[in-house]
Amino acid sequence: MSTPPRADVPVPEGGQDLNLEEVMLNMGPQHPSTHGVLRLVLRLDGELVLSVDPVIGYLHRGFEKLGENRTYLQLLAMLSRLDYLSGIFMEWAYVRAVEDLMEIEVPRRAEYLRVIMAELNRIISHHVAIGDFLLNLGSWTPFFWTFRDREIIMDLLEMATGQRMMYNYLRVGGVRYDLPDGFEQGCRDFISYFPPKIDEYERLITGNEIFLSRTLGMGIIEPPQALSQGLSGPNLRACGVKWDLRRVEDYSVYGEFDFEVPVGQWGDAFDRYRCRIEEMRQSLKIIEQALDGLPGGPFSVKLPPMLRPPAGNSYQAVESPRGEFGAYVVSRGGLRPWRVKLRDPSFVAISMLPQILPGHKIADLIAIAGSLDVLMGGTDR
Amino acid sequence: MSGALAMPEAVELASEILDGVALSVHGRGQRLLIELEADDLPEAARLIRDDPRIDGRYLVMVAGLDGGGSLEAAYLLRSLDHPLVVEMRVELDRESPVVPTVTHLWQGANWHEREAYDMFGIIFDGHPDLRRLLNREDLDSFPLRKDARPRRKVRPEWRWDGLEPPRRLPDEPPRSERS
Repeated sequence: MSTPPRADVPVPEGGQDLNLEEVMLNMGPQHPSTHGVLRLVLRLDGELVLSVDPVIGYLHRGFEKLGENRTYLQLLAMLSRLDYLSGIFMEWAYVRAVEDLMEIEVPRRAEYLRVIMAELNRIISHHVAIGDFLLNLGSWTPFFWTFRDREIIMDLLEMATGQRMMYNYLRVGGVRYDLPDGFEQGCRDFISYFPPKIDEYERLITGNEIFLSRTLGMGIIEPPQALSQGLSGPNLRACGVKWDLRRVEDYSVYGEFDFEVPVGQWGDAFDRYRCRIEEMRQSLKIIEQALDGLPGGPFSVKLPPMLRPPAGNSYQAVESPRGEFGAYVVSRGGLRPWRVKLRDPSFVAISMLPQILPGHKIADLIAIAGSLDVLMGGTDR
Repeated sequence: MSGALAMPEAVELASEILDGVALSVHGRGQRLLIELEADDLPEAARLIRDDPRIDGRYLVMVAGLDGGGSLEAAYLLRSLDHPLVVEMRVELDRESPVVPTVTHLWQGANWHEREAYDMFGIIFDGHPDLRRLLNREDLDSFPLRKDARPRRKVRPEWRWDGLEPPRRLPDEPPRSERS
């Protein structure tokens, strides 16, 4: 496809043969900095991005269709494969929807255990978000530092759930296991170990001149645009919108904890990074309070092995590390859900790329897409 | 949690705002269920979005649904201040499921509607770019419909013609004649 030289570009003397046409470039789906299998069809003018068309679906596994052919409990076992860095949240949204349909009251101890595991999960998800983001920018050290600390939480979660990533820990009406011996002590050790490490990350990353010049003012999202798009989570809070489902809905027992919702100011890549760093600190606060106030009693309610929720539909959402993750479950009174629709925050974040990327250089595209912390497992479902 | 709407008032409020537009308004838990005619959807969505009390300015998602007989589309809206979730539902004809788009109200509706089209074949009238999203472009069914049966792919007939002779340059002697 040959286009004539653009009128607004001055052609230098003797440069009539220069090739000034636009270039189509396929970035991905195997590009290392696209967090999985995201494909971006770029239209470029030299280094400048003119338009972006994200192509998704390379990781589509048909979760919603598979869910219609499985019992309620069978589907639960698959859900942590969706957004594989924050599996607890996927399970949580789904069990909350089923509990809402069946009108089950969850024991307080179970809610506390859910909160502890979820907040640990949030920290390790942000570990990957920050480490990977810096890796995209060409800096290796933060990746190793975050993964070093991530390993500790993975061990803790393995103690409690039996798995490092695919937890399958939540159950309708509670959780699967009670806390194992030594978990609480391990958790408390981590709580005292980790805050200096966050400071260390900040000393390494936050003031770094290269990092600042690559993220400050990059990919600015204005609040009205973010809300119209349906952005959520740290990406939305970085724009200065203080909206956190844990506070607005007060679901589970979050209303009993004292924590803050960090917000950014400009909505650029740097603010998104800072929000995640702050959220790790707040998560530690929540875990500590939850451990202190951990009530006794049963960790699950007794339910029949085959769940049969009454006909109806329910939408329940949780604040996952990437934003609002929601499960919309429609029951017709059978053993299998009639319809399961999963609302994933990464899906929304990727749908925003065509609006924020044009006008930036292609190297900044990597920084901006990385700062949104998208994950294809959840996007493609 | 400021300005929380309790359930009976929320139902009354929504019925008042959508007077003559909504077919029915119900409340359950923290959710408001509104049933609509397909043609009234953009108007009702705008009313819910712009009303300061219900304040449904955040589009959570658009979910397609196969109701067995007819198709349905569910639009979930929520406010940023209170936990109420508004669910608007339209019922669509299975043969020609057409519903006006809401992309002019929310930019984010673009991909949600594309996904519903991809999975259920619901046509969003006025959508700027209605293409398949998650499935491959040449898929011949709408997979989340209950009656979707993947068509068996017709394999081209395949036979063995023996090994292809190695390619030679025009002046190159055959391998057997080479020293």
